Amino acid sequence: MKRIISLRLNGKPVEDAVSDNTLLIDYLRDNHQLTGAKKGCDGGECGACSVLVNGRPRLSCITLTASCQGNDIETIEGQAKNGILSALQRAFHENLGAQCGFCTPGMIMVAESLLRRNVNPDENEIRQVLGGNLCRCTGYVKIIKSVRAAARMMETVS
Amino acid sequence: MNSPVKHTVAGKPVPLVDGIEKVTGKAIFTADMETTDCLIGRILRSPVSHGRIIRLDTTQAARLEGVVAIVTGEDCPQTYGVIPVAMNEYPMAREKVRYRGEPLAAVAAVDVKTAEMAIDLITVEIEELPGCYTPRESRAPDAPQLHDNKHGNLDRDVHHKFGDVDAGFAEADLVCEETFSCAEVNHAQMEPHAALADYDPERGRLTLHSVTQVPFYVHLTLAQCLEMDTANIRVIKPFVGGGFGARTETLNFEIITALLARKAGGKIMMKLSREESFLTHRGRPETEVILKIGLTQSGKITAIECETTQSGGAYAGYGLVTILYAGALLHGIYDVANVKYDGYRVYTNTPPCGAMRGHGTVDVRHAFECLLDRMANKLELDPFAVRRSNLIKAPTFTANELMINSYGLDECLDKVEKASGWQTRKNSLKPGHGLGMACSHYVSGAAKPVHWTGEPHAVVSMKLDFDGSITVLTGASDIGQGSSTIVAQAAAEVLGIDLSRIRVIANDSAITPKDNGSYSSRVTFMVGNAAIEAAQAMRKKLITAAAKKLEVHPDEIDCEGETFFVSGSSQSELSFHDVAIAALAQEGTINVKGTFSTPVEAQGGKQRGGAVGSTMGFSYAAQVVEVKVDVDTGQIKIEKVWSALDCGFAINPLAVEGQIEGSVWMGMGQAMSERTHFIDGMHTHANFLEYGFPTIMESPHIDVQIVESIDPLGPFGAKEAGEGALSGFPPALVNAVADAIGLEANFLPLTPDRVLEALIKFRRSARRREAIA
Amino acid sequence: MSELLPEFEFVRPKTIEEALEVFKAKPQSRFCAGGTDLVVNMRRGFVDLETLIDLTSIPGLKNIDFDQGGLHIGAGVTLRTLTENSQIATIFPAVAQAAGSIAGPNHRETATAAGNLCLDTRCLYLNQSHWWRKSNDYCLKYKGDICHVAPKGNRCRAAFSGDLAPALLVYDAQVDLIGPEGSRRIPLKALYKEDGADHLSLRTGELLISIFVPSNQARSAYEKIRVRGAIDFPLAGVAVSCEDIDEVTYRFKLAITGTNSMPIVIDVPDLTIENTDPDAYFQAMGKLIQKAVSPQRTTTIAPHYRRLSIAALAARIARGLLL
Repeated sequence: MKRIISLRLNGKPVEDAVSDNTLLIDYLRDNHQLTGAKKGCDGGECGACSVLVNGRPRLSCITLTASCQGNDIETIEGQAKNGILSALQRAFHENLGAQCGFCTPGMIMVAESLLRRNVNPDENEIRQVLGGNLCRCTGYVKIIKSVRAAARMMETVS
Repeated sequence: MNSPVKHTVAGKPVPLVDGIEKVTGKAIFTADMETTDCLIGRILRSPVSHGRIIRLDTTQAARLEGVVAIVTGEDCPQTYGVIPVAMNEYPMAREKVRYRGEPLAAVAAVDVKTAEMAIDLITVEIEELPGCYTPRESRAPDAPQLHDNKHGNLDRDVHHKFGDVDAGFAEADLVCEETFSCAEVNHAQMEPHAALADYDPERGRLTLHSVTQVPFYVHLTLAQCLEMDTANIRVIKPFVGGGFGARTETLNFEIITALLARKAGGKIMMKLSREESFLTHRGRPETEVILKIGLTQSGKITAIECETTQSGGAYAGYGLVTILYAGALLHGIYDVANVKYDGYRVYTNTPPCGAMRGHGTVDVRHAFECLLDRMANKLELDPFAVRRSNLIKAPTFTANELMINSYGLDECLDKVEKASGWQTRKNSLKPGHGLGMACSHYVSGAAKPVHWTGEPHAVVSMKLDFDGSITVLTGASDIGQGSSTIVAQAAAEVLGIDLSRIRVIANDSAITPKDNGSYSSRVTFMVGNAAIEAAQAMRKKLITAAAKKLEVHPDEIDCEGETFFVSGSSQSELSFHDVAIAALAQEGTINVKGTFSTPVEAQGGKQRGGAVGSTMGFSYAAQVVEVKVDVDTGQIKIEKVWSALDCGFAINPLAVEGQIEGSVWMGMGQAMSERTHFIDGMHTHANFLEYGFPTIMESPHIDVQIVESIDPLGPFGAKEAGEGALSGFPPALVNAVADAIGLEANFLPLTPDRVLEALIKFRRSARRREAIA
Repeated sequence: MSELLPEFEFVRPKTIEEALEVFKAKPQSRFCAGGTDLVVNMRRGFVDLETLIDLTSIPGLKNIDFDQGGLHIGAGVTLRTLTENSQIATIFPAVAQAAGSIAGPNHRETATAAGNLCLDTRCLYLNQSHWWRKSNDYCLKYKGDICHVAPKGNRCRAAFSGDLAPALLVYDAQVDLIGPEGSRRIPLKALYKEDGADHLSLRTGELLISIFVPSNQARSAYEKIRVRGAIDFPLAGVAVSCEDIDEVTYRFKLAITGTNSMPIVIDVPDLTIENTDPDAYFQAMGKLIQKAVSPQRTTTIAPHYRRLSIAALAARIARGLLL
């Protein structure tokens, strides 16, 4: 069964006919070619699919699109403004928070939700929040460093 | 050691040249490619681990509306495999299946649902045969045979002896022997496998995009399995989400996708699930190491005897290389003259093993560094001191004729000893806390590749055109390790230009020069050198053009940054653009290339298999691990890790740090929690919950120090950085646990259940010892 | 190896009554809130349903209220909300600790209190792909005839793996249910049955709508045994509460998850410091726990280990709760 779903996607209102059994990740990738969110596992085990729904992290690979009616969805593609990287994107780039880059979109989106509510998280808070996002390249050392660097950048700006 | 050379771009911690794409979601991985005009591929896999295929009936599936093509073992009678002498695998099973999950057939259909329905409609009848799941079962006299030509299920045995081992042991003051068992592990790269194949029947041409680390090998294998001319195949590697060795050989799904595309006369997207990615495997085999070491009172190693048995899975794959590496890399880190090695690579009815980060060396190095520590303990020697008693003096050749031109292990030891506060803290930690250390090393590329054709190991092309930009073309596969960035830095350094003037185009067989691929840490060394040579050729052209324009001899031209001028004069300066235009005026678009070949003396000993382990240079690493052990629950907490690695020269210190952190951490995963697991050949850990590689929560801070021994043959002195540190972690951990609670564990991983079980046994025997005393 | 969910109709009622109506009309329905368990199981292909009744739009299910009687937790309160509620963390620490230890932080954003209480049981032979289970002839819990964990037994041994239940059990929590036959309040303990294939005593179409935790002065804590620091289900988990009866007497309550097909409550005698050696008392407590739990081969981490470690952990937590 299909229904019309309307939501805000990276700030823009969109409306699509979507099957009830469509996962949010498939909707983003197939309907909008937003391939930043990745499928790294067979369901909810790795966090690579993380996006923001109403500003909070969400595993898009176990979320039904139909349940997102009217919601505000943000993906990695909406983070850079006019091509200029967000603080987290810049920090991940400059500090090698991304090696292969596969977990990076999910990692950045979850970190983004953290920094929006806490501009100066300590290392433990960063670990707590990113506990569900797996990375196989970095050993997480430079991911923690990147989030802290982004926090400093944001502090400087504000 | 050479005097330090001043560099402008090499040696600088620059972000990855393809990093922006990764942080913006613009990086297109294989599974991200446009699929609107694609058929969807799906694979039917064997439900049993050993059996004879009686019947495979696809008629019903073929009748399903929306099914466009079906392929089975009948469609490919060619065996393949990465080692030319050991190609014994079909992309889809023929006659027999040898592991649960082995591909039997595949379909291409208009959508996922149809493809999955079609898979369910294929009927398979398999006469089940008894399976062998451990080397013991496989080697039993009456064991069922996996391959007709491999009696006793032995893929390969290796017997190497260097020096006089008996005399060595006779000379020793202490000889100890222990057995270590290490579980099988998987790369678990974040990106599941995927391939996109497009076949144009009008032209008879095939284009494949895949997640591979080795597009060149994939290209060759496709030609062989599809019986096509290599000229009609094009292989492209998009962004790849990690490899760690999982993709260093052609994988069955790549061939299957191509077969489907040809049969359908179209484009097929094949995305494997995480479970299927685990089943495709090629990981580090379950390994048993029986190790004997002789030491003098002062800690000098007099002899080593090592027997290694690897449970290799159902097909040969890289097996013979893995079992050879395990022996060869007993050498090259310490000064040892007498070494005996016996290696057995055994077939089992489980997914085939292959190359994984630290290929061949990890489990043997683990055993070695654990046993060495215990023996040092018995002789009341400090673990650092015993290693220092056995250092190598470079340049030299090892007993098995491996070439060593640079050696920074002594400096690595000094650095981690100091950083960890070893001398003051070692014996003053709280109960349950412990410090352990270990050393490790790895090759910077194999001096002789598996496909030995005599051509250079690496070629880099470079183009300069009217726009004044430099395009570097390379076949080196960037899989996240940053090879494209290293190539760009090497080129910019030699040309004296800004990195922003360089674009790297990589991995399209129609455009970029052939490269063997990203494995055995060969890229920085080989491709780096080729990039330097290409840039030197380009620079020569520019200098010649500048000289002509300034009417002086080329020798008189100097340049600083992007400015060319006559030495000692500041009157007439030319910009890079001026010089580029002058150069182009001579001959139009400038194309140059650089190559790298390995010297003969680097190619190893004359013994059978002697090329394996041979390299232009070894990286060296030392690390210290601090742990806290909960004796009630067996849970181990890693408090901190200190690591130092000699990478010759860090062309990109940021990337080197990242590689060291990543490899130390991957060693931690193998040591702490990771293992595959099979019940009657069923993979029960084929997901991220059960396989359980570490999350950010239990991953410690890793203190990294870089040691630069400046290798005479390395690009700017560089050697590998991405594998050497891995194999030090597991033994450093086990040594730290021994320091903390006295338990000497002979198994990996140290999951809490196994630690507690060992601890209970340990306490029991301690009580018994006490009672006797 | 499916990446497709089965086809179903998604329904999002606005009231509890409406939800019950939908269920009545479409018996092949499943209630769903956060979906972090159910949708994963659907992807794995062992959930049969025609209608998915999403409860997240029903107002009133997301409240946390304290009154004189105690604490009321709405069924739809997310685990994150539970974790972040400072009052709960102060008054019922085990509840906040258990909630904060569940899965990963991203799951806790949508996973709910009732969802974790009603979490499906787990087993190495169940939580696998369709292909895997099919090639193993399925199992007693879904489509098959035998339990691979205990082939000679007559029931499914899948382990209950919710973390929240033990934390609430040590506080004698009750749950409010509503269904076609009306409303009822039952002790949380009565929600569970020792059968992995049918571990909840919910009647057909019945829905858990709120949790009541009676006021209590006891101190408490929850911890679990797992291999990693996040994401993992409990290999075994234990909640302990400790109440001061008088100056020398302590009353402990213990509840354990992950070892049986239901969370189990373990009765232990009071500790009277004057006449009992605490070391002997906690040692005996550990032994009692070892006897009470019956972990099975539902994971590859040995049952014996789960028994020993949870007993040791429980006794240690209990000791830590002494003043």
